[in-house]
Formats: sequence, structure tokens, C-alpha cells
Amino acid sequence: MGRIGIIGVGHTKFGKRSDASLRELAFEAYSSALDDADMDSSKIDGSVVCSATHYDKQRSPAGVVAEYLGLNPQPTFNVEAACASSAVGLRTGWALVSSKLHDVMAVVGVQKMTELSSEEIQELMGRAGDVMWESPFGTTMPAYYAMYATAHMAKYGTTEEQMALVTVKNRKYGSKNPNAMFQKPITTEEVLKSRPVSAPLKLFDCCANADGAACLIIANAEKAKKLTDRPVWVAGLGLASSPMSLAGRTGPLTSFDVTKNAAKAAYQMAGVGPNDVDVAEVHDSFSITEILNYEDLGFAKPGSGTRLLEKGETELGGKIPVNIDGGLISKGHPVGATGASQLFALTRQLRGEAGSTQVDGAKLGLAQNIGGIGMYSAVTILRA
Amino acid sequence: MGFEKFGRFGYVSQTKVNPLLSYLEKGKIAATRCKKCGRKYFPPRADCLDCRHSIIEWVVLDGKSNLITFTQVFFAPPVFQPETPYLLGLAELVSGSRVFAPISPTVDKEQLKPGLELNLKVAKGSRDNLYYWLE
Repeated sequence: MGRIGIIGVGHTKFGKRSDASLRELAFEAYSSALDDADMDSSKIDGSVVCSATHYDKQRSPAGVVAEYLGLNPQPTFNVEAACASSAVGLRTGWALVSSKLHDVMAVVGVQKMTELSSEEIQELMGRAGDVMWESPFGTTMPAYYAMYATAHMAKYGTTEEQMALVTVKNRKYGSKNPNAMFQKPITTEEVLKSRPVSAPLKLFDCCANADGAACLIIANAEKAKKLTDRPVWVAGLGLASSPMSLAGRTGPLTSFDVTKNAAKAAYQMAGVGPNDVDVAEVHDSFSITEILNYEDLGFAKPGSGTRLLEKGETELGGKIPVNIDGGLISKGHPVGATGASQLFALTRQLRGEAGSTQVDGAKLGLAQNIGGIGMYSAVTILRA
Repeated sequence: MGFEKFGRFGYVSQTKVNPLLSYLEKGKIAATRCKKCGRKYFPPRADCLDCRHSIIEWVVLDGKSNLITFTQVFFAPPVFQPETPYLLGLAELVSGSRVFAPISPTVDKEQLKPGLELNLKVAKGSRDNLYYWLE
């Protein structure tokens, strides 16, 4: 199996992008990825368009995105895995290039959420769970993660103050990311005083809906070496699924088995372990999620994720810097774009181009992306 | 009326496990059991995972359960907003199955903690809807 390289990355400003449509956001990210790779469209022989399509006004958005990017008549693939769409999109592209069906592909994650009314968004949010057995009781996305938080607090004594440290850390780094939706630091007190959403989660424990796009240009090893002198290699890919219904899951709900399974596969494929990771991007859809992810990825023992935060180990300069681009909590969460946004940040870290947030000598990066309420989780390991 | 009658606000109207509603009407909660291998399913399933047999029978379920985790929802989907804040819980029944259900407002929120013993009981909504909750 040949290696697959990321040869160009692009990213739009995330947030309320009332100036741009879905296809235009996709173009911004795609065009900046081509600039980054110093190439034009002619070598792209297929596109993978990643979006949680229920948010889009456009049905089957790969059709219009491929047209607007000028990528007809090459094949295009629409990939949907809720919040993990573009991590799964990279896996799709990886397989297509590995199979030699394609040589150079554009993986475009894109989402346009803020043109929906808040009524429409809340209605969609109400159907994020098992629509037959759980949604009829008034579930929400935050409610599911709140139930994990309640369980973690009861078992390990995790506190709301400790969870707030995730938001404080990520907003601190978000203030250095010009693409982030929120670029203002926040205090623990402000997090604790924000209004309740689904106890114990409060407004500033939660990421925000956003518009945005991110793009990865990938190529087989031969083309990657020809087209760039600084490829970043896909070293490990792990993807797992879990029951969508909360009632279908086992254990005390203090961790996500789906992430543990994805991490195991990715570490195995890359031939590395959690201690080898220099910089990580993890799915902080909610503050508690980042803490569970530390534990599920093996950065901390079960129940001790909060200690990493308290000791500053996941800060820049710590043992394993996490979400140094601000995470979903600062950047906003344009669902289909988030996975590619994480890989954009890692690629820049591994190329040593992260400026004031550069992790010194970063050689191995890990991104973890959860889909929906935890039915999918993808772990991607990149190597400089 | 179809299965949309299930829940505080049902979304799915057509299913093979529609008979659950007639049990709920009689104040009973029922699971399905595979007639071939005997495996029990709750929430009910029409198709056995183990033997792919799809001939099932209905068995009444004991509602005794232990709470695993819970939340109190303040920010709800539009149709549920008039009822906020409300409690949702996940519990393990004595049969070993898990159930996701609202927690009755008669339960003191301060007492809630994983392990708490609760009972899954039939509940009736104001629109002729039927469901179960933990009390």
C-alpha cells in the first residue's frame, strides 16, 4: 500500500458568513488549498464533498460544489457522517487514491448553517438521536453529551469548574486564530455563569453552529513528491461506529467506546502510541467531550483527563498540546467542515507554519472527530 | 393513528412494533422475544439479531430499574419548549435492557444520582399520546 500525502490545505473564516453561499464557501477553501499547493485544478481527478446535508438548502451538494469548483466531468462523492463528515471524507479519498482509481483528489468539507432559522436548527437538533425511541422524549445534541458529563462527574468527581477549563484554554488559543468565530478569551467565571443549556452543560460549554469550509488536496506518493516538497503523510486512519441509541450502548457512559476503537485502529496502522503524539486536535463539541477524548485516546487514564488540564499539559508547551487552533469551541462548528479544519491545523503544525501557536518540532499529529451524538468517531494520524 | 402516538411527540408513524401501543393503552410495558431463540428486546425489535428470525412474541416487562445517568433540558426543540425544563434519564431494567425515558416531574431532582432505583411506568400525554417514564 503506497503512502498518501496531503499536498495542500485551505480554510475559510468560520462563523456567521452571511456574505457567502455554500458553493462560494467551498470555493474559498478549495482555491486557497490550490494556492497552498501551488497548483491549478487541472491535476485534480475527483472530489469528495463532505457535508451533513440535512443542514443544506441544496440537496446532494456534491453536484453543485463540483460544478462551482470547475471539477466536472471528474467523479464526485458526497460523504455524510454528521460532524465527522470530512474525516470520513479523507478516509474515502484515501481509499480511492490507494486503489489507484484516482491520483489527486480534493476533499472539501463545507457547511452553511446560519441561514436556517433558529426554529429550523432546533427542530433538526431534536432529531439528532434515535428518532423512534429517544427523540420523541425531547432529546437535544447537548442533552446527550450532558448525560455523559453527569456520569463522569458521579464516577470521578469531575466538576463544572474543571470542565470550564476546556473552554478557557480553547478560547485563549482561539484569540490567536484569525479564522475562528470567537476570538476573545473567556474566564472560568463567565463560563460558570452562562445560562444552562442541558445540565450540567451551560452555553459556554458548547460550541456554536457556524458556516465555513476547509479543503485538503491529497495525492499518491509519486504525485505528492512531484507536486510539493513539503507533503504531510497520512500515517494512520481509524474509524468506528457505535449504537446510535444511548440505550444501545454499554458501560457506565463515562467514555466513548467508539473513540477507543477508532484510536486503536489508527495507532496500529501508524505503528505509534499516544505518547508519540506531538500535537492533537480533538472534538470539543462540548467541554466534557474534550476531557473524555483525552481519556479515550490514551492521553490520560480513565477519570484523570481533568488533571491534564489543571497541570497545563494540553497547553502550548505542555506534554501534549490539544486544540491549539482554538478547537470547535472557538472556531465554531460548521459540521461538515470541522474534520478538515482539524487536519488543516495539523498540517500547518507539521510543516512548522503555525506561527505564534507552533508546537516546537512537531512531527506527529493526531486528529479526532466525533460524528453526531457519538455514533461515529474518526482518528487520523499525520506525519511530517 | 399510527406509531406517532408514541412519545411526548412522535416522529415515526409506521413500524412493525406498533403493538407496543396497545400494551401501553392497557397500562403495561412490553418487550419483544424471538420465538426461535428466545432473545428478548427492549425497546422492542421486530427482527432477531442473533438468528435473523422475524417471528416475535410480546412479553410484559418489569419496570424496576436503576438510573445510569440523566440531564435536565433547558434549551429544547420547538415542540418541547413549553415543557422546559424537563428531565431525561437512562436506566437499566432488571432484565438487563436499557431504557431511555423522561423522568417524571414527581421525582425530586436533588435525589437523582446514578444507581438510584426508579420504576418505568406508563405515562399518558394530553394529545392521546402514550409513552413511559421513570418515576
